[in-house]
Amino acid sequence: MVLLSMILLPVVVAPFAWIGEKFNRDFPKYLSLAVGIFLAFCTAFLIAKYPGNGFAFHEFYRIYPPFDFNLHLAVDGISLVLLAIVAFLAITVTLSSWNIEKPGAYFFLILIFLGPMVGVFVSLNLLWFFIFWEFTLVPMFFHIGIWGAENRIYAAMKFFIYTHLASIFLLLGIIVLYLSTHTFEFEKLLNVQLDPSIAKLVWILMFIGFAVKMPVVPFHTWLPDAHVQAPSPISVFLAGLLLKMGAYGLLRWEIFLFPQTSKFFAPLMAFIAVLTIFYAGFRALAEDHIKRMVAYSSINHMGFVLLGLSALTAAGISAAVYEMVGHALVISLLFMIAGYIHHKTHTWYISELGGIMKKIPGLMTMFVIGVLAAVGLPGTAGFVGELTVMLAAFDYYGWVMVIVPLASALGAGFFMWMLQRAVFGPLREGFENLKSLKELSMVENIPLAMYIGAFIIVGVVPSLVFNLYNPVVNTFAQLFQ
Amino acid sequence: MNINYLAATMVLALTGAFLPVINRLFRISGIQGALISSIGYVVSLFLVLISDRGRNVLKGFYTTDPVSILIGALILVASWMVMLVIYWITEKDKFVNELISALMISTAGALLLISANNFVSLVIAMELMTMPTYLMVLFAFDDKSFEAGVKYFFNGALAVGLMLFGISLLYGMTGSFDFSALVKNLFADPLVALAAVFIFAGFGFKITAFPFHFWGPDVYDGTCPGVASLLTGVSKSAAFIGLMRVVYEAIPVIAGHFTLILAIIAALTMTVGNLLALAQKRVSRILAYSSVAHAGYTLVAFAALSVPLSVTGIVYHSVAYVFMKTAAFLCFAVLLFVWGARTMDDYKGLGKREPLLGALFLIFLLSLAGVPPMAGFISKVFVFTAAVDAGMTWLALIGLLNSAFSVAYYIWIAKQMYLEEPTIEKPVNDSPNKNWILLPLTVMAVLLIVFGIWLNPVVDASAVYAAKVGF
Repeated sequence: MVLLSMILLPVVVAPFAWIGEKFNRDFPKYLSLAVGIFLAFCTAFLIAKYPGNGFAFHEFYRIYPPFDFNLHLAVDGISLVLLAIVAFLAITVTLSSWNIEKPGAYFFLILIFLGPMVGVFVSLNLLWFFIFWEFTLVPMFFHIGIWGAENRIYAAMKFFIYTHLASIFLLLGIIVLYLSTHTFEFEKLLNVQLDPSIAKLVWILMFIGFAVKMPVVPFHTWLPDAHVQAPSPISVFLAGLLLKMGAYGLLRWEIFLFPQTSKFFAPLMAFIAVLTIFYAGFRALAEDHIKRMVAYSSINHMGFVLLGLSALTAAGISAAVYEMVGHALVISLLFMIAGYIHHKTHTWYISELGGIMKKIPGLMTMFVIGVLAAVGLPGTAGFVGELTVMLAAFDYYGWVMVIVPLASALGAGFFMWMLQRAVFGPLREGFENLKSLKELSMVENIPLAMYIGAFIIVGVVPSLVFNLYNPVVNTFAQLFQ
Repeated sequence: MNINYLAATMVLALTGAFLPVINRLFRISGIQGALISSIGYVVSLFLVLISDRGRNVLKGFYTTDPVSILIGALILVASWMVMLVIYWITEKDKFVNELISALMISTAGALLLISANNFVSLVIAMELMTMPTYLMVLFAFDDKSFEAGVKYFFNGALAVGLMLFGISLLYGMTGSFDFSALVKNLFADPLVALAAVFIFAGFGFKITAFPFHFWGPDVYDGTCPGVASLLTGVSKSAAFIGLMRVVYEAIPVIAGHFTLILAIIAALTMTVGNLLALAQKRVSRILAYSSVAHAGYTLVAFAALSVPLSVTGIVYHSVAYVFMKTAAFLCFAVLLFVWGARTMDDYKGLGKREPLLGALFLIFLLSLAGVPPMAGFISKVFVFTAAVDAGMTWLALIGLLNSAFSVAYYIWIAKQMYLEEPTIEKPVNDSPNKNWILLPLTVMAVLLIVFGIWLNPVVDASAVYAAKVGF
């Protein structure tokens, strides 16, 4: 019942956020916070009770057995890691949205979003996975479209149509897979021998769906618009959860299910990954819009995730999952601070900023820490993630991957250059007397401190994360032998 | 035909027939009229639901099987909700009871159509369903509705004429109208194929399939939207089921040769419907063209008729369609009545003015677009699974791409309602009991979500039917 309650409770209490706003404006945010804490407790309970390997906490709800359309929920180490991210981000995003306008509708949509989000990571039935996957679009559309920046309507429409179109390919892949195997169950699909040509067709169709969500070049164009126009807390959901859905789907429903086909397509994945890393790196280098730059660096990091996945070894997959955690924590921090910079200086453009370290040293210190984590400073999650991904890629592909560290240097380049122009140096004219340019309030600082604390803890003691899912990854890695 | 099912049709038609008489005698108000009609609907619904027991009558003309019980019950619910909304939006009109009377008789015809297994009874049922709607289309008594009425009448007459010609060809060859006799005596022959073409064309008019779709949007746009919701939702769903019976029970021998043509017509219908819907400015025309596109999705399942899943696809899509299309038009009707909103520009910010009604409209639109967990999603899954199963992956891909692009205009309405600032300042008709009208729409939304997750009733009914027609 734990997993089902984690999916249903946010959705069921969501209308109360909307209704409750009429009676007390503060009620929705406390409700959302309570749900976030509930998710965190449930996840902690699951982690504590998790036996260490394989799927646990099976919950099976018969809906229509002849079509295998049953709600089958279970978690393994990888899902647990992602559930922990969901719970963590649910709390931090609620805190970051403490003073949002129209809180009733906003938190209603957040709660509606969290339930299916949990469902994506715990569903072992492919059709239910798709149902949860697709439903997350609707609240996101309204979040971007109502609370976003100037160009929000265009971004919301593009986001919805683009990702829905991608899901159509995923759905077609699911249909073809079902007709060849007559099951949607993960554990049954694992033991099915699929005709190689059909497996390749299914793999490609599903890959398009996942690649758009991740996103990787050339399917990334929805992301910069959506991220830039979305309000910062929603950018955190987009980067921290929505992109993870793509990577998780690729891992769970393609790499684990079709090890041989994935092996066939591994060079393609690696090529796309390297292309993504470099393309996003150069775009970020050329970008003047600070949030768009963070968005490209987010794509850059997702390239590392895909690179780790494409190295079909235990080390590669472990590294990719770890990089997902690091990305969720680090990029979330950067998105939040980029949003605050705009809020305080009323400009998005690096060329119009300068020397704000002098006015808001506290916030900018956190920004610098975040940037250093993003470029892979030892002691942070970014370092462990990138290093392990690169080692795994070397191991699998050999010396071709020598170019990847160059991309890492590229990442360091665009971030440091941005810091030098925007944060350090002489204070720009007009900023001395800017009233809005002041430090954050306490409640706004808490989530930022939580991100920093989390990525430092995870970076210093990586085994906290690795131990959770390494046995699972090792078990599945035997499939690739 | 089961005696209870027959009684259900009778009760409904007679309630409808006596409603204007009661009004002449006692001068009933709108609420009283709605109550009297509701009693008719409830009794009829009860009788339909218990029509799996009891004696059988009129054996050679009508049949009662799980599909007709299921679809009959759902058509009754949808038509009931249409009745309530029409009473609400046209309460003060002098002829509203006559309109409801026509609506109930037409629904009785739809109930007969979905259980007809003889060409004579099929044509009679179809005419019983269509004749009252000729009057209903004219109800608004303005220029546009006259144009719509004339167009609708001539197209309907042409459709039935074509169908009768096809039927007469079949009768000339076999000497029988009965489906069970036809299926034994027919063989693949050019003349049979010609007859099938005429019958398909007749149904094509009814379900607004390409190239017989031209009248649809004009009529749905020209008439009052309550009537349009009956025409697009209930009548078309019943026509889908009628066509299904013809294809699987009467002429399967020749229908197998039509798969490619059906597939091409399906692809064209979807594409034309969606492309034209994208170009529209008036919300009623968008919904009308989306109903053309949905006829295309159902035809995809017809094109896949060689596999048993196609039956599930047709039945499921009819189930989902009868709710989501009827309800979407009803939402439009209510918004038109209260706010006078016709075009996309009028819809700006309406979601902020009417949060609950807007949210319900959104549920129906997302269901039409095929977003889970509404029934529109799972019905599309069945339809396209049937197409892939029948070896027409290309058709499934076209359909899915169409479905993805159709999201553009559904979400466009959502965008106008919620993301833009309001343009209309004051409501045209401010009704004090406005919240009551949300009740029927909420019922439909809940049923839509229930059928989107609880597959058993529909899939079991269609499995029984598939077994009956020999899969």
